[in-house]
Amino acid sequence: MSDSGSRDRRPRAGTGLDEPADLDLLSRMRGGDEVALEVLYKRYAGLVFTLALRIVGDRELAREVLQDAFLRCWDGRETYDAGRGRVPWWLIGIARNRAIDLLRSRPHQARLREGEILPGNARTSDPSPSEAADAVGLRRAITSALENLPMAQRRAIELAYYGGRTQSEIASELGEPLGTVKSWTREAMERLRISLWPLIDPKREE
Amino acid sequence: MTEDHKQLQEHVAAYALDSLEEPERARMEAHVGTCERCTSRLDEYRAVLGSLPIGLEPSEPPAEAWTAIQAAARRRRPARGGIERIIPTTWRWATWPLAVGLAAGMLAWNVWLLREISVRPPGPDVEALARRPGRLVILTGTGVRGASARLLVAVDGRHGHLAIAGLRPLLPGRTYQLWFVPASATPVTGGTFAVDAGGRAWVSITVPISLDDAHVIAITEEPSSGSSTPTGDYLVEAHTWR
Repeated sequence: MSDSGSRDRRPRAGTGLDEPADLDLLSRMRGGDEVALEVLYKRYAGLVFTLALRIVGDRELAREVLQDAFLRCWDGRETYDAGRGRVPWWLIGIARNRAIDLLRSRPHQARLREGEILPGNARTSDPSPSEAADAVGLRRAITSALENLPMAQRRAIELAYYGGRTQSEIASELGEPLGTVKSWTREAMERLRISLWPLIDPKREE
Repeated sequence: MTEDHKQLQEHVAAYALDSLEEPERARMEAHVGTCERCTSRLDEYRAVLGSLPIGLEPSEPPAEAWTAIQAAARRRRPARGGIERIIPTTWRWATWPLAVGLAAGMLAWNVWLLREISVRPPGPDVEALARRPGRLVILTGTGVRGASARLLVAVDGRHGHLAIAGLRPLLPGRTYQLWFVPASATPVTGGTFAVDAGGRAWVSITVPISLDDAHVIAITEEPSSGSSTPTGDYLVEAHTWR
């Protein structure tokens, strides 16, 4: 078994070096190459599972989401569009959609989830030995960008992204006018974009 | 920048989060296909959102997840030489003629689909989607001459894309609405949408009922907030589909 990428399973910030390898894996998977599927899985399963767990709050459900996401890529129910960004973002998008569908279709699980302590954002703690330096830097930057948002804006983004809520649902949940929530969402995304886009722009290495 | 465009720009962030409701979601969907500026900003927002999970406390998936994926992947796509393994010995003489016949059938199906789509190619991804397994519904303009639509429904029966052409842009306060009408039951909405200046739209749809339960699929003109039941005549409609 060969893995042409690094041991780190997270997409490296702006290197561009992982892009051809990911695309090559997808191309080989279309031809039925199970080795390519395993390489892609080893590279991104941790990230996809972490996101799924954050959304559904249950390890079994998160495992379902993880399996469903990779199998949808494998059997062609999801096709990659390079114009939509890097392969890991596409994978995360698939997993998020499936996780939110699951959340909405199993309301009792959601009620259980509200009472649980969810895996939160990582603190800017010491990196694990296996993390590459640039991945550590990106993780810290993301954590910092979120922590620097005003709490209301951060909550609006998290309810939308991890909770799958609409703007009206967020307004209702937070007890705020819809216009206020829309402003928070817009301002928060713009702040995140200013902070993080320079670190993740695929053209950064060109 | 027009006032309308300013309003649409305000919604790009919520659209990136899939947090917009109808009819704003449909308006954004139609707009981003035509506006480079908003599309560029949308792509950046989506990239930023795609990176957010990196900031979460990492969790390792259970080992059995890969085992299950591997087993399912093998079931869904046979390994090389697998065709011969799964066909009983007595039928192996028919293997290659069968394979050729199936390939010819698939080719004919794709050619038919592409011919249907190419009459008025309404969206950038229609041709790619038409080659995937799924169902195609062709709606014809009964209330609007020359209008047509193609509804492509994925194999899960739930996700689809609607490509429309030939409908006139509506005045503010009005919208188009898609309906799935069961036999002897209340029509169910498939969402609202707007068309661009050229009378075209390309919309992602969540199909609310099984196509097998729908009797008619139609588009009407409604107030901008949408209606709970059709108030206008059917503008484009379909009564049969594969």
